[in-house]
Amino acid sequence: MAQLMQIIISGILVGGIYALISMGLNLILGVVRIINFAHGEFLMISMYISFLFFVTWGLDPYLSAPIVVLLLFIFGCFVQRIIIQPILETSATVKIFATLGLSIMLQNLALMIWNADYRTVHTAYQTSVIRLGEVAISVPRLIAFAVAILIAVALFLFLQNTLMGKAIRAVAMERRAASLMGIHVKKIYLIAFGIGSALVGLAGSLLMPIYYVFPTVGTLFVLTAFVVVVLGGMGSMLGAFLGGILIGLVEALAGVWISPGLKEAVYFVIFILVLLFRPSGLFSLGKGSEEVGLK
Amino acid sequence: MRKWIALLMISLLAVTTACSGSTGTRGEGGKKETLQIGALYPLSGAAALLGDESFRGAELAVKLRNKNGGVAGGKHVELVKTDAPDANAAQAEANRLITQKGLHLILGSYSSAISFAASEVAERNGVLYWEMGAISDPITERGYKYVIRTNPPASEFAKVEIQYIKEVVAPKLGKSPTDVRIGIVHEDSLYGTTVAEFITKMAKEEKMQIATTQPYNMKSVDLSSVVLNVKQAKPDVLIAVSYLNDAILFWRQAKELGLDVPVFIGTGGGHTMSDFQKALGKDVNGIIDVDFPQYEINKSYTPGLEEFLKLYKETYNEEPRSGHSLANFMGTNVLLEVIDKVGTIDPDKIKQAALEYKLEPGKSATGWGVDFDQAKGQNKLGQPYVHQWIDGKLVTVWPKGAAVQEAQLPMPKWSERK
Repeated sequence: MAQLMQIIISGILVGGIYALISMGLNLILGVVRIINFAHGEFLMISMYISFLFFVTWGLDPYLSAPIVVLLLFIFGCFVQRIIIQPILETSATVKIFATLGLSIMLQNLALMIWNADYRTVHTAYQTSVIRLGEVAISVPRLIAFAVAILIAVALFLFLQNTLMGKAIRAVAMERRAASLMGIHVKKIYLIAFGIGSALVGLAGSLLMPIYYVFPTVGTLFVLTAFVVVVLGGMGSMLGAFLGGILIGLVEALAGVWISPGLKEAVYFVIFILVLLFRPSGLFSLGKGSEEVGLK
Repeated sequence: MRKWIALLMISLLAVTTACSGSTGTRGEGGKKETLQIGALYPLSGAAALLGDESFRGAELAVKLRNKNGGVAGGKHVELVKTDAPDANAAQAEANRLITQKGLHLILGSYSSAISFAASEVAERNGVLYWEMGAISDPITERGYKYVIRTNPPASEFAKVEIQYIKEVVAPKLGKSPTDVRIGIVHEDSLYGTTVAEFITKMAKEEKMQIATTQPYNMKSVDLSSVVLNVKQAKPDVLIAVSYLNDAILFWRQAKELGLDVPVFIGTGGGHTMSDFQKALGKDVNGIIDVDFPQYEINKSYTPGLEEFLKLYKETYNEEPRSGHSLANFMGTNVLLEVIDKVGTIDPDKIKQAALEYKLEPGKSATGWGVDFDQAKGQNKLGQPYVHQWIDGKLVTVWPKGAAVQEAQLPMPKWSERK
C-alpha cells in the first residue's frame, strides 16, 4: 500500500513538471498557432540563466525565478518579432523549419558557450523530503507541483477575466474576426509568445534544484510536452495541466508494474489511442482544434 | 525591416561557421614532413562531453611526441580533427577523411555506435581504424582486417565486476559468493543492455543470484519506479550501467526514497565523471566504480601519468574530466610507437607492426599492457580497474598493482550518513 502511494505521489509530482512546461507550449500553439520546436531550448536557456545567477551571485533558483521569467518573456517577444512574425502567413513547412532551425542553432550555441558539461546548483533543500510514514515526498518537486497549480489557476483567471486575456482568447478562436473587432492581433501574438516563454522560464527555474542543465536538456522534456499538449487538447490550458499529471502518473505506474524501460511505450500507446478515438484531445476546446497550429 | 532581419541572420550564420571552422586543425604548409591521421570523435551532440575529453588524450599524445622530435626520424604528426555526433555522420566523415583528405589511418572514437559505422567504412577502403575508447565487444568480434582496439571491451567490465564481487565484496559482507544477491539497473540502449547481459551471464556461471534487473530509458526524467523496484528486491550488491544524467538522477532519488544497498557498483559511464561528484557532493562517497584507469592510482604502475596530468593542465587549464583522455593518450602512444617503427602510414605495415608490438602490464600511463589478438586486433592486456569514491575522489582500489587504498565496504545507510 505504501509502495502504491509512493508511486502515485512520485508520478503526480513529475506530472506537475510536465504540466509546467506544456502550458507554455500550449499557449503558443493555441494562440499564435505555431508549433514551437525550440520550446525545449527555451527551457535549456532559462535553466542556464538560473544557473548563472546561482554561480555569479549565489542567488537561489527560487529567488532568481522572477528575473528569469522576465528575461524569458523579453526573449520570447524578441524571437516572435524577429523569426516568427515574418513567416506567420507562410506554409506549415516553413514554420516547422524555422523553429526547428532555431532549436538546432540554440543547442549548438549553448554547446559553444558552455561546452557539453553538466551543471547543477547546490541548495540545502535539494534532496530534502517530507516523510509521511513510509512515503517520501521530495520538497523541490512538491514546490514545482504547487507552483504548477498556482500558475494554472492564475493563467485561467487571467484569460477569463482580464481584457488582455479575453483578447488573447478571441485571437485564439478566430483571428480575423478578432482583428475586425479592433484587436491588435500582432500585439497579441507577441504577448502570447512572451507569456508562453515566460512560463517555460519559470519551469526552468523550478527544475534547476531537481535537475541539471546541459545543451540538449530540452530534448528530454519537450517530446513529453508535445504528447501532453496533444493528449490534453491543443489550446486548452486545463488540458495541458491535467495531461501533464496524467502522463506523470502513467509513467510511474507503468515503470513499476510493467518495466521502467517500457514506460514511454505505454504512454505513447495511450497517446495513439487518444489520437484514434478523440483526436482533438481529452479536454479539447471543441471541434476543429486538432488542426490548430497546422493551418 | 525584412532586409535587416536577413542581414542579421546571415551575419549570425557567418559567425557560427567561422567559429566552428576555427576548431579544425589543418596543415599549414610545414617545412617538415607531416604524417596526417584522421581523428574522428563526437564533438557536438549528446556525446560531445566525453567525445571531447577523449580527443584531448589523443591530442596530448601527439603534442608530446611532436615536442620530443616526432616519429620516424623527425616526422611531424598531425591530427585531422573531425566531428561525428552520430553513426550517420561517422560514416560520412570517415568517407570524407578517406576519399577527400586521402588519409590511411583513422583514430577515435569514444562511442560504440560511431566506431561501428566508421570502422565499416575504413575496412571497405583498406584504411586502418584505431579504436581507443568504444567498448562494445562486436567492434573487434567481426574479425575485420583493419580494426585495432587498445581499450578493454564491455565483457571485461562485467568480468571485473563479477570477479571483484567474488573475491572482495562477498567476504566483506560475510557471505559466500553464491549467496550474494545482485541487482542490476541499466539504461536500455546498446551500452547498458550489452554490459547488463554480460553481467547476468557471468553471474550465472558463478552461480550468483540475480535479484532484479531494471532497464530504463536514459532520457527518463524520473527514476522513482526503478528505485522502488530495487528497494523491494533488497539486493546486497547493486550494479548500475548508466550515463551521466541518469546516474545523478538515480542516486538523488535513491536518497530521497531511502534506498539502502550495502554495495553499489557503477559501470564506468556517468559514475566516473567529475560532474557526477560535483552534482551529488558528499553523497557519492562509498560508490564503487569499475572503469578505465583514473587518476588516484599507483603512479609507479602507470609510468607517464604524471607527465600527462601536467601537460593536460598546461594545455586546457583544468583537471581531466574523466579517464577517457588517459585511455586515448595511452592508445595514441602505442600507435605513435608503431608508426615510429614503420616510418610511414601504410595500413598493412602498421597493422603488422601492431600485432608484433608487445608491452608488459604496468609499463604504460594506464598500467595496461599491450598484446593484440592476432585474428581480431583486440588488446588482451587492457583491463578496467575498480575505483571507489572516497572523500570526493575516485580512488583506485583494485587490482593490487594499481590500487592505492582498500575499499571501504559496506556503504553506510542514508540515515547513518553525516
